[in-house]
Amino acid sequence: MRNLQLLSALWKANLQSAMEYRAAFLTQVIFMMLNNLAYFMFWVLYFDKFNSVRGWTLQDMMLLFAVAATAWGIAAYFFGNFTTLSEIISLGRLDYYLSLPRPVLLHALASRSLGSGMGDLIYGVGSYFLSGYVSVDGFLRFLVGVAVGVAIFLSFLTLVQSLSFWLGNSTAISQLALSALLTFSLYPRSLFDGAAKFILLTIIPASLIGSIPAEFVKSFSWPVLLQLLASSAFLLTASTWVFYRGLRRYESGNSMQVEV
Amino acid sequence: MRSSHPNAVEALVRKIPCPSTTGLDVHSALRSGRKTETMKKYWSILTTQVVNSLAYPGDFLGRSFSIIVFMLIFAGLWRATFAAAGTESINGLTFPNMLWYLLMCEVIELGRPRVNRVISEQVKSGEVAYILSKPYNFLGYHFSHGLGDGGVRVILNLLVGIPAVWVLAGPPPPPLGWVMALTLAFGAWVLHFCMMSLIGLLAFLVEETNSFELIYQKAVFVLGGMLIPLDMFPLWLQPLAKSLPFAYMMYAPARLFVKPDLATFWQFLAVQWLWIAVLIGVLALVYQRSVRSLTVNGG
Repeated sequence: MRNLQLLSALWKANLQSAMEYRAAFLTQVIFMMLNNLAYFMFWVLYFDKFNSVRGWTLQDMMLLFAVAATAWGIAAYFFGNFTTLSEIISLGRLDYYLSLPRPVLLHALASRSLGSGMGDLIYGVGSYFLSGYVSVDGFLRFLVGVAVGVAIFLSFLTLVQSLSFWLGNSTAISQLALSALLTFSLYPRSLFDGAAKFILLTIIPASLIGSIPAEFVKSFSWPVLLQLLASSAFLLTASTWVFYRGLRRYESGNSMQVEV
Repeated sequence: MRSSHPNAVEALVRKIPCPSTTGLDVHSALRSGRKTETMKKYWSILTTQVVNSLAYPGDFLGRSFSIIVFMLIFAGLWRATFAAAGTESINGLTFPNMLWYLLMCEVIELGRPRVNRVISEQVKSGEVAYILSKPYNFLGYHFSHGLGDGGVRVILNLLVGIPAVWVLAGPPPPPLGWVMALTLAFGAWVLHFCMMSLIGLLAFLVEETNSFELIYQKAVFVLGGMLIPLDMFPLWLQPLAKSLPFAYMMYAPARLFVKPDLATFWQFLAVQWLWIAVLIGVLALVYQRSVRSLTVNGG
């Protein structure tokens, strides 16, 4: 309950901060939607030339983009520090969060909001409604898929960036992990065989963000639901454990700073 | 930060002749016969950036590994596509052609200058007023700096990408393709530089410029033929796409890389440099107006 109050206060402060620069915020939102649309034009052109690839059509790709973009948008808007955690650790900026009686990881992640995330969120929901897979139970499955996607984004990136506690600056490996996770999540898993398919379910769990939730939205399946829930619960637990384990090794940046 | 960096920069500053002119006075330096000295100055900026980039080889090499991720995805997609089409060649491109085409596109994309963010920050922070008093041209500095950085990234991405694509799709294209592609890739880099600088200078007008970069990047991805070659576009869209500068940032070098043809090469080169001339003109105009407005506002 106290954590929810903390999150609510942080999100309110982030929104007030964004509203101070309303024009910049709206620009970010609109341009991110245009950016996603422009990127999706690739698939429009692709399916204009080839009708389907390994059973995936343009509508299926819209659904995949819907789930992945909404999940990314929620993570970026509500937990905006999830892409810069390694910098926060290596530059000693955790001092601020450690000095307050609140969960360090949750506080650090939710202290920043990326305005562009709202653009992804709106685009993702819009893409779902245009995908042709709209129904009441389908929408509920869509929400489950998005929740799993948010959990995987947050936990996987926390896990990778927690390496900064041991390696110092791990920005390069974090960027590589982020790039791999995001890029692979926007492609159907049926394109990959053997080892690549295994990697996308384990080391880089990108299939759990886009492909599998999109298939789940199309048709309900108990084994898939259990797979999604178990994977996200495992990754959330593992990432939190690794972060707090690493926190024991944290050395203060000894720097004066003000959080606004 | 290693201690050798400040020393290197200090040494460079001592080496650079300081004609105590403003950035725009580079032209007068040229007129007075000091062309060689000016060139040396920008060459020093370029080489300093190369040294800076190579100061952290592990970090730089690590970033280059993302090219393997992209090539694995493209290999999966296009292998499935060729298998579904049941043909060896689509619009004149085989599966190996396609992968080497996409590698060239990725190398250009990952090596393109990121000057927009630096320029934008310098404008927003007001640092630009201080920089303009330095004995070099503002855009010339960013060009040399970006070329040094981009050159290292291109080489490292090729070093990582070539073995990966070789394993995925077989041996690379013939040497003639390399010569043509690298010639056009340099022009593509200049085109990118002009566009990215223009986006950076937008900071004089709007607070947020990163969004413009995103849209520009996607325009290059799609209309430049980075994700899908222009030959596979609908017939009505091909002439339009080929008439825009984006095609000469990606498609032209990548296409000639895998299908070298002398007549097409000269044609692409001519159109590419025509676009470069146009964009340099626009950039010079925008830059002069921006600097003037900065002076009017008192920096």
